[in-house]
Amino acid sequence: MVRVIADNIISPMGMSTEQNYLAVKAGQSALRRYEQHWGLPDAFTASLFTDEQNAAMHLDGFTRFEALVMRCVQPLLATAGIDVASDRVVFILATTKANIEQLQRGNEPTSDIVPGEAAQKIARALGFTTMPIVVCNACISGVAAIVLAQQLLEAGTYDTAVVCGADVQDKFTVSGFQSLKAVAEDACRPFDIERLGLNLGEGAAAMVLQREGVGADKEASCCIEAGAVRNDAFHLSSPSKTGEGARLALQAIHATELASELAFINAHGTATMFNDQMESIAIERAGLQSVPVNALKGTFGHTMGAAGILETVISIAALHDHTILGSRGFEELGVSGHIRLSNRHEATDKRRFVKMISGFGGGNAAISVSLPSTLNHKPSALNPQPSTLRHHLKVTEGGISLDGQTLPLQSRGRELLVEAYKTFIGDYPKFYKMDGLSRLGFVAAELLLQAERGEHLTGTPEARNDRAIILFNNTSSIMADRHYWATVSDLEASFPSPAHFVYTLPNIVAGELAIRHQYRGETSFYILPRRDETLMAQVVNAAMADGSASSALTGWIDYPCDEHFEAELWIIEN
Amino acid sequence: MEELIQELKEHIIEVLNLEDMTPADIEDDAPLFGEGLGLDSIDALELIVMMEKEYGIKLKSPAEGKEIFKSVHVMAQYVNEHRTK
Repeated sequence: MVRVIADNIISPMGMSTEQNYLAVKAGQSALRRYEQHWGLPDAFTASLFTDEQNAAMHLDGFTRFEALVMRCVQPLLATAGIDVASDRVVFILATTKANIEQLQRGNEPTSDIVPGEAAQKIARALGFTTMPIVVCNACISGVAAIVLAQQLLEAGTYDTAVVCGADVQDKFTVSGFQSLKAVAEDACRPFDIERLGLNLGEGAAAMVLQREGVGADKEASCCIEAGAVRNDAFHLSSPSKTGEGARLALQAIHATELASELAFINAHGTATMFNDQMESIAIERAGLQSVPVNALKGTFGHTMGAAGILETVISIAALHDHTILGSRGFEELGVSGHIRLSNRHEATDKRRFVKMISGFGGGNAAISVSLPSTLNHKPSALNPQPSTLRHHLKVTEGGISLDGQTLPLQSRGRELLVEAYKTFIGDYPKFYKMDGLSRLGFVAAELLLQAERGEHLTGTPEARNDRAIILFNNTSSIMADRHYWATVSDLEASFPSPAHFVYTLPNIVAGELAIRHQYRGETSFYILPRRDETLMAQVVNAAMADGSASSALTGWIDYPCDEHFEAELWIIEN
Repeated sequence: MEELIQELKEHIIEVLNLEDMTPADIEDDAPLFGEGLGLDSIDALELIVMMEKEYGIKLKSPAEGKEIFKSVHVMAQYVNEHRTK
């Protein structure tokens, strides 16, 4: 259990949590239809900052994305009264594409195109002294960042976490979702029978979270009781038809036992055909069909990295207001799972809600949030079990070594991975569809797990829900970003490639591994300004501390270009 | 028609990165999805892009593609009738 002591939202609808909540309650939205925008041939509806708003938010020396994060976090730090410079405070940034706008400048983009650099720049400017962690887990990033904060605080690694989710929109992202045929031309309609896809949105939301017993003088607005991330192990861009990962995440936070106490479930509700259908199945399978469900995408659009935090903060405000917010855009239920949904606000006197979210790479996350209670909660687990290291694999452009032994391979660079695939694996043609980062992760994990299976003499891979995949890097999905952008930016022949777009999220490599090995535990991808073994170990230990993962496939995996790359993966057992 | 079928197979192999395959490995009437080549929903979207890029055919939704991508033969017939380039 961790306490929420302050929060903030900046969106096209308002510059504070209160402004945004009042706008939602009044049924407003900043969704607008754009035609011939950014040179895109197809119309789309989105919630974007106006030119006036962008000008008002501008900060010299910072990009639009960075200024948005700064404007969102800065007021919070004073409100929360925390010592930002303390080594007990961590800054966690959830984003999917951060400064990707920079790619469009034509000339070589600056170094802050890499999210870790952007996070470091923001953290320094705000006065943080510890290394920032970027959560880049596709659409679930926001909730995943809250879960990471909870894990780190409960493990005692830090006392306070400042968590911010943010994304801005541009041609890169909108064209990508259009190539996936996932964008609605008009306002989206979550869970509705006539839903035709999602609307993208811009925004940032932030929370200050504290471990129980720290800074107890500061009143908490809410408590994060439990959080979990689970993978579908099904498909990179389509959710499991049985809602497997979402159901596992709901189960992991004990949502079923809490059913009668839940005011509502705030769903992801993107208004794509598959997401909303999947969520309805997962909610029903988790035994939560009696709990009212709502979705906020018809108000804010899909704010990507911000979504999980923004929608949690709005839901906290609603809980304080004893209100179940109606779902804007919804009229008639168009999913097969039995769930309760309304487009009207309702009153509630319950004190708890669940936020759920799902995304590319097969990730699903859920948290349960409650109003502060006077009951004494059992203390958090503060002593993660010491972990044992099993097997260690290192791949660079120059060669591969397993447990210290060099494998006999001749090729170098990108070709090395192909040779390794052909020599030692060879039964998974999907390898050829993967981008460089995923190929690197696939080869590394495959060889590592072959060593593990050899040791256990079991032969075939076994599906398991208790193994987490937790990966770190520095350059995100930069190669895939460049490849995708090349398909968009060709003025003569702009044909955005959906297959390239899917790989423009680094957590896709974790999704590939989950699918290949049928792992349905936590999958997380974190970006750091530089490799830091201590911080990486702290994150992995904290993730394993609650006992739901008995082992983790983890390590560093970075693919800045075809000539230089590095993966160092290992297996940790509790 | 034979030529178009051959050309389509080459495009399919190229855009879908079917590295270990040659046009001869793809049967004219075999289903492309499901059992056939084991293609999935992202492949279908990539084929929609290929249809527009190579033949100027704009498909609105994956559902529309489903009928057309039944087999290379069916694709060739559709391209023949609808191509604008």
